[in-house]
This record gives sequence, C-alpha cells and structure tokens, in this order.
Amino acid sequence: MSKRYALYPGCLASTEQYAYELSVREVSSFFNIELVNLDDFSCCGEPIKSINQLLTLYLSARNISIAEKSNLDVYAPCAMCHLALSEAAFILDSDNDLRCRVNKVLSSEGLEYHYKHKSRILHTVDVLYDDIGLEKLKNSVRKPLTGLKVAAHYGCHLIRPSEIGRPDNPENPSKIESIIQVTGAEPVYYPERLDCCGAPLLPTRQESALTKTGEKLQALHEGAVDVLVDVCPWCHKMFDEQQVKAKETVAGGFNIPVLYLTQLVGLALGLKHDRLGLDLNQSPVEKVISKVK
Amino acid sequence: MPRIGVFICHCGVNIAQNVNVEEVKRYAERLKDVVVSRDYKYLCSNTGCGIIKEAIKEYKLDGVVVAACSPRMHEHTFQRVAEESGLNKYKVEVANIREQCSWVHSSRDEATSKAKTLVRMAVAKARLAEDLKPARIKITREALVIGGGVAGIQSALDLANEGFKVHLVEREPSIGGRMAQLDKTFPTLDCASCILTPKMMEAANHPNIDLLVYSEVESVKGSVGDYTVRVKKKPRYVDPGKCTGCGDCASACRLKNKVKNEFDLGLGRRGAVYVPFPQAVPLKYVIDDKTCLYLTKGRCGDEPLCMKACKQGAIDFKQKEEIVDLRVGVIIVATGYDLIDKVGLYELGYGRSPDVITTLEFERLINSSGPTRGEVLRPSNNEKPGSITFILCAGSRDKRLCEWCCRVGCMTALKQVYLIREKLGDTVEVNVCYTDIRSYGKGYEEFYRRIRGVDNVNMFRGRPSEVRVKPDGLIVNVFDTLSDKLFEIKTDLVVLVPAIVPSTGTLDAARTLRLSRSNDGFLMEAHPKLRPMDSFLSGVFIAGCCQGPKDIQDTVAHASGAASRAAWILSSDTLEALPYTAVVNEDLCSGCKTCLLVCPYQAIETVMKDNKLRARVNSTLCQGCGCCVVACPAKAIYQLGFKDEQIKPMITGLKEE
Repeated sequence: MSKRYALYPGCLASTEQYAYELSVREVSSFFNIELVNLDDFSCCGEPIKSINQLLTLYLSARNISIAEKSNLDVYAPCAMCHLALSEAAFILDSDNDLRCRVNKVLSSEGLEYHYKHKSRILHTVDVLYDDIGLEKLKNSVRKPLTGLKVAAHYGCHLIRPSEIGRPDNPENPSKIESIIQVTGAEPVYYPERLDCCGAPLLPTRQESALTKTGEKLQALHEGAVDVLVDVCPWCHKMFDEQQVKAKETVAGGFNIPVLYLTQLVGLALGLKHDRLGLDLNQSPVEKVISKVK
Repeated sequence: MPRIGVFICHCGVNIAQNVNVEEVKRYAERLKDVVVSRDYKYLCSNTGCGIIKEAIKEYKLDGVVVAACSPRMHEHTFQRVAEESGLNKYKVEVANIREQCSWVHSSRDEATSKAKTLVRMAVAKARLAEDLKPARIKITREALVIGGGVAGIQSALDLANEGFKVHLVEREPSIGGRMAQLDKTFPTLDCASCILTPKMMEAANHPNIDLLVYSEVESVKGSVGDYTVRVKKKPRYVDPGKCTGCGDCASACRLKNKVKNEFDLGLGRRGAVYVPFPQAVPLKYVIDDKTCLYLTKGRCGDEPLCMKACKQGAIDFKQKEEIVDLRVGVIIVATGYDLIDKVGLYELGYGRSPDVITTLEFERLINSSGPTRGEVLRPSNNEKPGSITFILCAGSRDKRLCEWCCRVGCMTALKQVYLIREKLGDTVEVNVCYTDIRSYGKGYEEFYRRIRGVDNVNMFRGRPSEVRVKPDGLIVNVFDTLSDKLFEIKTDLVVLVPAIVPSTGTLDAARTLRLSRSNDGFLMEAHPKLRPMDSFLSGVFIAGCCQGPKDIQDTVAHASGAASRAAWILSSDTLEALPYTAVVNEDLCSGCKTCLLVCPYQAIETVMKDNKLRARVNSTLCQGCGCCVVACPAKAIYQLGFKDEQIKPMITGLKEE
C-alpha cells in the first residue's frame, strides 16, 4: 500500500537537525511511503506567535492550503510545526470572521483555507502508530533491540493543548512507549516523563532552559536508562546538542545517548546507521549502535 | 349573559408608575359584559380583597378579572376570595400587567395600551369560563423514604413520630450511609457512629417504620396522595428471622479476608458472607452473590462452611428475590452522594500511586474500627508517614470537572489534621494546600483558627497542579500566593479532598421518578430559596445531599424540613386534583394512541367503547401539561380551563381596538 504525504520539514529539521529529516525519509522509504516536496512551503509562524497572531495564522493556513491544493496530507515531523498548523486550523474553523480575513490575504496567491480542511495534519507519532501501525512495525523488525532500556520524551507541543486534538493523551500519553515496545526494547516510565525540555526558554533565559534540560537528563541518569528518544527537533536540540552545556549548568553526571524515535525504529528495522543520520547526533550514540549489532 | 367584574391593582407604584390605571379602569368599564370596574392600591391586601368581595355580592358577578401581578404570586389569593363569596374559584382570570407589562416597558403610553389589551383578552376568556370541580384525591397516609443514610433516617423518624407509617428502602444491607463511614464529625469532634447508631436503632425499632434493607425501588406509578411503588428485595441467602448476628458464618467462610470490603472502600477485607460493618442495622448477615463460591460456581468445597457453622440454620441458598408492592401518599428521596470518579483525580496522583488517597479513605484508616484499627500507614510500604499533605478542591471549583464547591471539604481537611495530631503525635509534618478556607458554619471559624495555630502544620494557599510519584516518595509542587513563593514539598502520603457528585442511587431515583436535575447533576429543588426540599413533582420531596452537597447538620435540617412538607400532605383531609385536566371526546377519538405515547405521566389508558378502541384520561394522574391536546391528530382532546373556544377569543381580542 503506497502512501503519499507532503513532507513539511520546518526550519530546524531541514537544517541544524537534519538527522531527523534523514531518518524520517529513510524509515518512510522502507514502508513505501512517498514524501512529496512542495516547494512553496514556508515557515509555520510558531516563532512569531506571541508578536503577531494573525500573521502566524496566515502562515500556517497558507501551508495547509498548499498541501490541500495538491490533494495531499501534511506530514510535519516537528512537534512545534505540527502544533502551529493544527492550532491554526482549529482557530480558523471556530472563528468565521478570522477565517475570512485570512482567506482574503490568501486569495491574492490563489489559495484558500477551507473550513475543516480536508488534508490531515500528521506527526511522526501519527504516521508510525496509526498509518503504519504497530502490527506492521512489529513484523518488520529485523534487529530486535532486546535488553535496551529506552525512555520516551514526549515534549509539550505534541500533547498540548488537548482541546484542539493532539496525537496523544496529555495526562498519560502512551503511543511512543508502545512503539518502543514493538522494536523489542524495554520502555522505561519515570516520574519526570512529561517535563519540558526547556527549548522555548533558550532565546531569552538560557540558563533556565539548560537547567530544565539538565535536571531531566540527571533524573534519567539516576534511573539507569540506556537511551532517550524524542520526536521533536527542538527537544532533540536541547538533549542532544546542548547536553554538555546542560551538564555544566546543573553539575550533572550524565552522558546519555539521545536518538530520534525514527532513528531508533530505523535501527530495529535493520537500516544502516549512517543512512539514519546517526553520525550527526552529538550525544554518545555509539553506545546504542554497538548494542544493536 | 355573563356578568364580569374587572379589578385593577396599582401595586403601589409597581404598576401605577408605568400604567395609567385610571384610564385602564374606564376602558374596562366600557367592555361588553363588564358590569363593574374598580381599582385599588393593593388588591392583595385585606381591604383590596374586601372590595372584590363586595362587588361580587353587590353586582351578582359570575366572572372576575384581576389585572395585577403574576398569577404565580396571588392567583390563589383571589381564587380564595371568589370561593368565600360563593363563586367557583376557576371563574377568576388574572391578567399580568406587572411582570409582563409595567416592569418591562418604559413608555407610559405603550404600557397603558398593552394593559388595556391584556385586560380585554382576560375578559374574553372570562366570558367563557366554566365552573370546574377538581376531583378529590384520597390520601394514603403512608410514606416512602428512599435511602437510609442520616437524611433518610431523620425524615423517616420525623414522619413516624407524627404517627404515619413509613417504608424506608435502602439498597445496602445496612442503613447508616456515608455518616457511618466517618470517624469524627466537625467541629465538635463527636464520634460519628456514637451519634448515628442511636438514631439507626430508633429507626429499626420504631413501630411505624418498615425497614426494607438490601432493597431497591423498581418502579413508581401514580401521583401525589396515591403512589404505587414496586420494591425489589434482593436475596441475602440468610433468613433474617433465624439469623442472630453471631458471626460464626463469617469466621468460617472459605473466602474470609479475601474479598474487598465496600464499606472500607476496598482498603479492608471481608468474606463472601458478611455484615458491612460491626454496628450494622439490622445486624443480619448477607451473602454476596458475586463472590460466594457456592452461588457463582455451584459448589463450595464439599459443603458450604457457613451452613456448617450456623447453629440457627439461617443460611438459605434457595432464597429468591422478593417483590413488595406499596401504596404511599408521599415520597422522600434521600439517596445521598458519591465522591468524584478516580479518573478526575488522575492528575493528582490518585491511581498512579497507592500513597495518594481520598479523605474518605483516610477516614476509614484513622477510624479505630477501620481496616487498620486506626493506624495510619503508607499503603505502599505499611510504614508510618513522616509527612502528610492535604490537597483541597481536588476536582472541585474546576470548569473541566465539577464547577461547584463541595462545601464540606475545608472542614473535613481541618478535622483530619486535628485527628493526625491527636492520634499520630507531633512529629508528623502536615501540609495543607488550599484555595480558600470555607469555615462558614457555627463554630467552624474557631475550629479553623485552632488548627492553623498548631505546630508543624503548614498552610499553603495554592493549588498543586501535579503530584509527582518518585520511588521513595511523592513530590507536590505548589505556589503559595500569600508568600509569593514556589514550594516543592517532599511528602509520604497525599490526601485529596475530592469533589462531591450525586450518587448512582440519586441518578436512579431521578430516572425512576422522572425528577429534574440541576446543571451539576443533583436533584433540582422547586425553588432554591423558598422551597429547597420540594421537587417539581408534588408529593415528592428531596432530602440531604441528593439535592446538593452539605454537612451533617444541614442534612438533618433539610431532612426534617422535607418530612414536615410531606406531613402537610399526609395530614390533609383530602387533596384536590388539578382541575385543568385533559378530557377525550370519545366520539372524535379514533384510538390511534398518539396521546398515550406523549403523556409523560402515563395518565392515559385505552378503553373499548362500542367495539372501538378509545383513549381515556385518568384525571387524578393527569398533571395538565397539555401535550396530548397538542399531539392529537383528530383534535379529539381538550383541556378543561383552556379549551380552544376559550383561547381563540383571547387571540382575536388582541387585534381588536
């Protein structure tokens, strides 16, 4: 069964966090999912949400309309982009005046945001859990990650605000653990599971941001976890790229491999680690790779 | 030729300010069939009523129109005046020129013109008013009380002491309800059982009270004064006539200490044969047919050990469910409350950690006849807690869950803080995270100040959003708005003060009796200020927490009030049925039964007349709602007092000028 999505990588996954896009493409290709590049995609608007709400709505609506024009669902691997698009759709569906205003601007480009947009807005968790499904994932595993203790980091944008509909439950999400389970690894539950990574604070309060990151990593370290997986390039940036700085900030003792969920799944599917962008991770991922052989 | 008198009230300035009463009076005088028109400042007063009486006599009136305030206020007053003057009281028509005219218009011209129209319409109806003779209802001088908690017990005792026979139905094997589960009561710290058990005994032994425990109300038919109630007595598989309450069966039971005890909220254990608690009334054992090996699997070892142990031969596995039909005149619903479902408390750790419990569970733990004999130990490791944290308003005052205040939560928490100090000593750290302390009752504020001053009791004004479960304990993060500081409390036991919701029994009663419920789900009172114990159905009263959460003293007051309201009906000579009942014109009726289907009161039945099926309205059950009148496709049903021929002239009267 061949599926087609319009891939919406966002600003971070297609640049600094390219490992995510690489692993997404690799895993999608394994399952015969075609990722279509729509050139016209632009920023989702999330970074300027607090400054100009109308502009954010316009930017997100624009991207949804572009995908809809091509009759494609939108696959946004970045949780922040996914929230921006989903929230814009929710707001525009519930406010007729706002929708008209945004459509007036979009009309100059020959675009229109349709009420209750036909294009689905998907995240990696949706694609893995719903579209591909646990059964298929399980049967496709070539290198079961037996004995590997994996902690999930859901992040905030993936599961909140719940009123608009998110890929998983805000109080007790479980889809990532289910996916970890079918790879053969052992999902680990820990009290700090739903804590924020600190990324939104990075531009203005660097020390506070790194404190949040460091405290969570320290808790994981004390819980003897082998790997931390995440599903958002911002979260990954904090835990992976900023891990050393975070360690200094909280005087921690951790050195934890941090992988994208798609990288972990890719390893279990038997895909090559350099095809999954694992050489781009800055945390000690070799510890995991050696365990998979 | 009708002879109608029109009486217009000034109502002080309420009407007179906006309506030119003089002008309306002169206008009314000129209407056809009006022989006299009068006005007065306060028609509802003695003098005012006197004017009406005089006029009826002097002018030999056979119809009266009163243009005044809403009929809800004084229709009954003017009806009484008519009756005292020898006129049928249903010949009085009220035109509302206050709430529906003077109070809602600012232009004097408009208001006066509208008042004239309203009077004209009332006169049009009054011309065709008929003498109505409402049927008299025979009153069965017995009462049904549904629910055997403190509210039901109080209502039952009050009615029984007045000389009426009361049937008290309780679905659990014993009466006592929630109050029996408490340890001490605030603010006097009376032992709950000590003050309740004498009442329970009184109810059980009262010659006028018929106690039906382990029973449920299946159906209720009829209306005020004459209800037919079907009660299902569940089989207890123990003959209450032979059972002495000795407990030999429970000691012998193969499942002894293996079944979760409902009374202890699952914290304690019992066998399949049990009494809910040692002070149960009646003290008769019951076998749980969901766990008993003999009843579920067909055999219990070689023979049931309870049968072997019982010296009275009281065990009877052949017992069947019994149906009891009762005839009562009034019903009091006293079905109580439940705590919010645990799903609503998930965020605060309930269900995620065994060390997060509710106040009711805490009450069972600290009660010396509870499952741990009064020892408060952490459920996770059975150790004494070094720190206990209370979180108030768990699920209450929350738009997502329960918007209302539970009313008793603050005092319950303070009381439990006191019990901790008294029973567990000074070393246990106690933290209280509250939103407001609502210590509104008599003696409550003094009690609060006392607790607040106790050492090692820390009060935080803030709502924790999360209780974090760590391997060695619990973390509660709370922002204290009074000191403007964020606190991270490391604690061993968290006690949640949960929201209070209507019990399943309350929901069942609402369905069976077709009672209205308020937005919060509790039974709706007829008027929140003036009739808090009446439901919208005459003859059905509501008592205690089924109407809304309240503490024990308010519950008892409420229950006594409901009993008093019920007694008023039971001690009346007769009751009048509503005069405005529906009547079927059997010549026009085709027997289609549409009216039967729409009648909410099951007041319509079918009869055979001339070999054809016809509908017939039972005038004592009919509540005059008018649904059948509207629904009848053949226009074969009319409503007394509101016939089409009476309403049509009112409508044509609208445009006449």
